[in-house]
Amino acid sequence: MLKNNSAIFCMVFFLLFGFCDTSVSGDLESIKTIPIARNNPQTPEKVELGKMLFFDRRLSGDGTMSCVTCHIPELGFTDGQAISLSYPTTKHWRNTQTVLNSAFFKALFHDGRAESLEDQALFPILSAFEMNQNLDYLEEELRAVPDYLEAFRRAFGTDDITRQRIAMALAAFERTLISRNAPIDKYLDGYEGALSAEAKKGLKIFTGKGKCAECHDGVALSDNKYHSLNVPENVAFEKDPRVAAARRFVAKFNHFEEFRTLKEDPGRYLITKEDSDWKAFRTPTLREISRTAPYMHNGIFETLDEVIEFFDRGGGSGNSALNPLGLTQEEKKVLKVFLIEALTGDTIELKHPDVP
Amino acid sequence: MEEYKGKIRLILRQYPYKYRDYSHIAAEAVLAAGDQGKYWEMHDILLKKSPKLDRESLISYAAELELDMKRFTNDLDTMKHLDIIKRDIALAEALDLYNTPTIFINGRKVIGNRPYEYIKKIIDEELQHAEK
Repeated sequence: MLKNNSAIFCMVFFLLFGFCDTSVSGDLESIKTIPIARNNPQTPEKVELGKMLFFDRRLSGDGTMSCVTCHIPELGFTDGQAISLSYPTTKHWRNTQTVLNSAFFKALFHDGRAESLEDQALFPILSAFEMNQNLDYLEEELRAVPDYLEAFRRAFGTDDITRQRIAMALAAFERTLISRNAPIDKYLDGYEGALSAEAKKGLKIFTGKGKCAECHDGVALSDNKYHSLNVPENVAFEKDPRVAAARRFVAKFNHFEEFRTLKEDPGRYLITKEDSDWKAFRTPTLREISRTAPYMHNGIFETLDEVIEFFDRGGGSGNSALNPLGLTQEEKKVLKVFLIEALTGDTIELKHPDVP
Repeated sequence: MEEYKGKIRLILRQYPYKYRDYSHIAAEAVLAAGDQGKYWEMHDILLKKSPKLDRESLISYAAELELDMKRFTNDLDTMKHLDIIKRDIALAEALDLYNTPTIFINGRKVIGNRPYEYIKKIIDEELQHAEK
């Protein structure tokens, strides 16, 4: 099985991996090449190792959770929950983002605290309310498994198992999780028939009156920036003491002085301490949006209709980033058709790896 | 269950979390109550009172349910249902399940605590399929 997969990955790499950053604000781009980290070249062996780790429950402290627990392939690599699944006995406070197309992001997480997939990979493993694992222990735990020693040797040349290599392998695997054959890509590449008439009308709203493309542009359909839209707090979780514990823990960790009385999500502010980043969140990708409900950083909206209504009324109360759009019912309808029809690629059939 | 009376059946399996002090004894308690016809009543109390699930608390809940206390306490202390609990854990692990709650609705796996509307949608879809 390993040999077969390796052959497939080889072909994919030669065709797809390269560098691209030629976006113009507001323009949409089709997927042509996948950005890779200069210090972490893709190899089939590294991707295969990353896949094993992605599915391995050893990455969690109590052995109950792997990356797949929250990034379920059948649910668009999310968990379908308003707020993420969490380490047993704890609760999360934010929505799981899809791993699909994460290769295109310049920063990861809702608050952008990681600058690469390599940087991102260790955060959930360490987080007390996510996988709650100790990295020193994890390194030794993996080192005790002969198949892992061999897999690290194949991927990196030696069998030294370090947290950096774990992160590199996970990142390499995640860079293979890319939308394929989404109608928007075919359309942008000149195939007119790739979109239905309704979806084309939706595209016009997306790039015009709906102003979606002002932030959801480029190949990622994200400007990789942070915006305060004043998304309402999710009252379903506001009073949950375990959600509050997660919120205070993150605030405390980020040296937010009033962490004990914090009742809302400060977003990017926790990272930068810039007033302009208060309740600002990174623009998410809209690729595969039909598979990744619920929406927004706290999963407050269960449907695309709710999201479209939110933007149509100019976002949350008191925000200065958005203005009401005044979309008609027909315009909302075709916009939704575009989001679902155009931005959904082939289903990724991911075979469960043999975790040693 | 009331909304779907006569249409669906709920089967619950034990999966005590290995790092919780009282999860195993709580599983024993609910099965011991079940032997006296009060399984769901005890189940509901445990969810309401969690994490106060130490032995003394469990015994007090059994008293609330007016169980035969001698029998209940004996069942609890001798771990009468250990084999059933072990069997359930083995089943979960064989199915590669490690998260609670995990619900199978007519074979469709739902992991994690979900809103009622989420579960209702799946039940309605499965009932529709069954009617075809």
